[in-house]
Amino acid sequence: MKKYIFKRILLGLLVLAGVVTITFFLTRVLPSNPAAQWVGPRATPEQIAAAIKTLGLDKPLIVQYKTYVLNLLKGDLGVSLRSKQPVLTELKTYVPPTLELVLISTVFAVIIGIPLGLYSAKKKDKLLDHFCRFFSVGAVSLPTFWVALFLQLIFYRWLQLLPLGGQLDAKLKLMYEVPKITGMLTFDTLITGNMTLFVDALKHIILPGITISLYPIGLVARMTRSALLEILGEDYIKAAKSYGLKDNLILWKYALKNSLGTTATVLALSVGYTLVDTFLVEAIFNWPGVGNYISTAVMSMDYPAIIGVTLLSASSYVILNLIADIIIAVDPRVRT
Amino acid sequence: MKKKVALILVLLMILAAVTACGSKDTPAQQPDASGQMDVLYYAYNSIPVLNWDPSIEFSNGIIVMNNIYEQLLRFNAATKEYEKVLATDYSKSEDGLVWTFKLREGVKFHDGTPFNAEAVKYSIERTREIGQGAAFIWDAVEEIKILDDYTVEFVLSYPAPLDIIASCPYAAFMMSPSLEDQPDDWFEQGNANGTGPYKLQQTTMGDEVILTRNEDYWGGWGDKYFEKVIIKKVTETSSRRQMIETGEADITTELPAEDIEALKSSGNVVVEVVPSFTNLMAFFNTQKAPLNDVRVRKALSYAMPYDDVVEHAMGGYAKQSIGAIPEGMWGHSKDLYQYKHDLDKAKELLNEAGIKEGELKLLLTYMSGDEAEKKMAELYKAELSKIGVELEIRAMPWESQWDMAMGTDPSSQQDIFVMYWWNDLATPYSYLYSLFHTEDSTLFNLSYYKNPEYDALIDGAHENSAVDIEEAERGFIAAQEILLEDAPAIFIYDKNTVWIKSPSLKGHVDNPSYPYVVFFNKLYRE
Amino acid sequence: MNTYNSWKKIKSKYAQLRLNIYLLKKNTLTKWALYGVVLLTLIALIVPIILPEDVHVTQDANPRDKLLPPSSDHLFGTDELGRDIFKRVLLGTNISLRTAVLAVGAAILIGVPIGAVAGYYGGFTDELLMRLTDIFLGFPPLLLAIVIAAFLGPDLNNATLAIALSWWPWYTRIVRGQAVSLTERPFVKAAQAMGTPSARIILKHIIPNCIAPVIVQASMDIGGVILTIAAISFLGLGAQPPTPEWGLMVSTSRNYFLNAWWYSIFPGLAIFFTVLIFNLLGDGLREILDPKTRKN
Repeated sequence: MKKYIFKRILLGLLVLAGVVTITFFLTRVLPSNPAAQWVGPRATPEQIAAAIKTLGLDKPLIVQYKTYVLNLLKGDLGVSLRSKQPVLTELKTYVPPTLELVLISTVFAVIIGIPLGLYSAKKKDKLLDHFCRFFSVGAVSLPTFWVALFLQLIFYRWLQLLPLGGQLDAKLKLMYEVPKITGMLTFDTLITGNMTLFVDALKHIILPGITISLYPIGLVARMTRSALLEILGEDYIKAAKSYGLKDNLILWKYALKNSLGTTATVLALSVGYTLVDTFLVEAIFNWPGVGNYISTAVMSMDYPAIIGVTLLSASSYVILNLIADIIIAVDPRVRT
Repeated sequence: MKKKVALILVLLMILAAVTACGSKDTPAQQPDASGQMDVLYYAYNSIPVLNWDPSIEFSNGIIVMNNIYEQLLRFNAATKEYEKVLATDYSKSEDGLVWTFKLREGVKFHDGTPFNAEAVKYSIERTREIGQGAAFIWDAVEEIKILDDYTVEFVLSYPAPLDIIASCPYAAFMMSPSLEDQPDDWFEQGNANGTGPYKLQQTTMGDEVILTRNEDYWGGWGDKYFEKVIIKKVTETSSRRQMIETGEADITTELPAEDIEALKSSGNVVVEVVPSFTNLMAFFNTQKAPLNDVRVRKALSYAMPYDDVVEHAMGGYAKQSIGAIPEGMWGHSKDLYQYKHDLDKAKELLNEAGIKEGELKLLLTYMSGDEAEKKMAELYKAELSKIGVELEIRAMPWESQWDMAMGTDPSSQQDIFVMYWWNDLATPYSYLYSLFHTEDSTLFNLSYYKNPEYDALIDGAHENSAVDIEEAERGFIAAQEILLEDAPAIFIYDKNTVWIKSPSLKGHVDNPSYPYVVFFNKLYRE
Repeated sequence: MNTYNSWKKIKSKYAQLRLNIYLLKKNTLTKWALYGVVLLTLIALIVPIILPEDVHVTQDANPRDKLLPPSSDHLFGTDELGRDIFKRVLLGTNISLRTAVLAVGAAILIGVPIGAVAGYYGGFTDELLMRLTDIFLGFPPLLLAIVIAAFLGPDLNNATLAIALSWWPWYTRIVRGQAVSLTERPFVKAAQAMGTPSARIILKHIIPNCIAPVIVQASMDIGGVILTIAAISFLGLGAQPPTPEWGLMVSTSRNYFLNAWWYSIFPGLAIFFTVLIFNLLGDGLREILDPKTRKN
């Protein structure tokens, strides 16, 4: 068991090393002009020449790669070409708002997605199943960026219920001290007990939260359903049934527990998808998160920022997958 | 069954709880305690500041920095006069080589350091030393002499209009010598220390800037002015429009014409249309066949549907260009030749050049995300297809678009490069030199245009602008005649700036020399 | 004996097919999804013939009719240059389906041989290739495609390539698993004993026997790929104007949706229904072809 976990961790590290390498060469081999990016618009040739020197672009690519990796090991992700701020500093500001969205969507995925998949499996081929399936497949088929526009139209423009975007009303920010603990505003304002700010933060997160949650809910419901269908076909469940155990008990207690491994894997996958969905949605909601950050970075080919975000999201993705694998490996019921 | 119902109920309750919090009695856009603090809110379409170093920033940052920092002079495009800011007076020698500035006394930087001749020398030398951004504007300066605490003398190596230079929206800001005591990354941390009416209170990286009133401002304050100013990046046009509609934001710009029309008819906002010094141009690759043939370039100039572009791509908030210099800037002349949409003439010229229908395929690049450029390109494509020319349109991030143009092999470059240009220095030289002067390695001469006669003409005019503005203007106009005859580019339109403002906001006057800058200390609510 | 064997094989395959068709008919949702896919394919094939894209783009542009609401003349209204959104949405079907099929096809072309080689040879080759695959799977979905698309330059073909380059590992995984078990099978062992070159065994025996699960996976992926293409175009990294690509249309419509709701709604709905139909079909197919879920 220890050996297995050790091996999985090693593999995870290998994957991350690979991710860094691939992203580095991808962003550097393909045509782009980091020096021009560094000096900004209306640069002179002297400025560009100087920038090439500063950025070490005159050295062979492999040397640049070595420098990059060595710095990375020291925790230095380099400096953004666009803003000239250390990428790590920037990420520290941009990660918490995105994490907030990801957490919310994961919570929704669990409390809505799992029951949905469960009942769908239980009532296979009945009306409820059709409905649940339609809903869950529908949720993963929706273009998130379109849903975002649509929700804004309904809840801001027509109903005037919710704010259009941002994390907090800018004027409220001037009137109250905004707590900075985790950087996740709904959480911070709640634990410091500032209800005005909390309610405002909550209002701001509803639309992006719903938009981002749709895909994970659908995904989790779909996967739970198919995992359960598999398990419900197993002999021991049939045995339990023949003992006259209640359907619901079987479903919740035995079947669901056994699908835990699958669910964990699916949740890891869903976090991966959510992260990327933030790329498409954060800009629309003016949400100051990583998605907004990387879409600007991609558009301006800011390679240190791109590698930084890729590495960050790949790490979280790999770690989640690792946890899922370990759950599967540790749980004796799952292993059989 | 019961459990199922219970489950659904729980889910509904969660949803209800969440939405209930959202819809509590106060409407979403009204801060609970509005009126307690009057804040000015500028919803800006991009990142407000890219680099906090006033020596370096050569981009959006001027919208913030012109409120925190000040120049010696500011150019008023309406009166064509220089406003005295940190200088109270200036004079020049007859040959335009020595300029003397008298400085304003009693001015202090935000940290209390006094502003004086030493600060002027320090600021300009610092900018030149760093050599980034718009540092080139000080190129002519050979020496800065401190005559006394409040008098500086500039000795130039060649005649240059130092009043234009000192009023530049970029790289002409006065900084405090106390900067030397700050750590190297002081600006990167988001700090500022100028003499301007507002101080930097807080900034969230790239996103939001909050300014607070500098109570000790030398210009003084009445009690009606804003205590705080928020400048926030709001990239979606629909968001900016809605923020203005609901009163969340007080001022914004760069909305699509359709939104402007809708806002106008709603009557809840003030729409102000003013000319800008920004013009849209399409540069032909003059090094590549068949665009190296002037007849082909002229044909393509005649194929542009100017009126449709102005009317439909810009919603009428623009004017077809006459020459390379936008209207309102000196050096603009109404008497220059103006190409008109004329497909027959275009066809004839193509025939003359021996180009048959369906033979010519062209690649046009523009900066992705710019809706007006996109519509212009699509309208142009439709017209070109009528004369048998196929146009491929490619939206690219600015860096890629520019990078493609930099290549040394003309055949791998674009055929038509679409770009907006706006002034740095308030002189026609900013346009005519950067865009069409011969370059050893390409920078912004994106037509790869080479004409020694033209070069000599504008270089002469530039030197003249230090001593004889009228003579200089004649030179710049003659240079544009050459450009129109050679057609290295299509001059499409001069853009208007359209400000959308809350009706309660007063005191705003646009100055096209400082594009998109709002001088917040002039604004108040009524 | 040889003929007998292949006859038996055909017969069992036929029975299998009959069973699948029966199950398909029984599964209403999947059946309707299948009809939907057929309809979409027909639209994709026929519309470009009756409405050539370039003519439509150049001669339909009539800015005086811009942003008209839906009417009998313009079923879905018109866009910012007066073009008919209904026609553009129909034309978009071809673009989305074609690029999705191309992208998935290219991903299969890359992924399948790698999986087959890894599974067949095993050992170090397997380890090397599968760790490489793991690395590619380490990127969160879509992220790699977006990064590649950004650096290849904005263009629909580049976006297609970018998706293929980020999607292949999924096929490698499937094929590798199959290949490992196939290698143990008598007919492969026999071929090896007869001295058939490995390359030939892989091409003749391994790959053909992996096709079925690959096709199922592909049919399930099409929906996701269509969504990905739309997303990449939405970001401005895919289709270029004036291509009537759905994601690009929604992206452009952002500037107009407050005045012209129809401009965003219809291309968005087109994406939604197309992806939904493909996903329903994919789900149904998996259920039918996967014996595990059939037991219940």
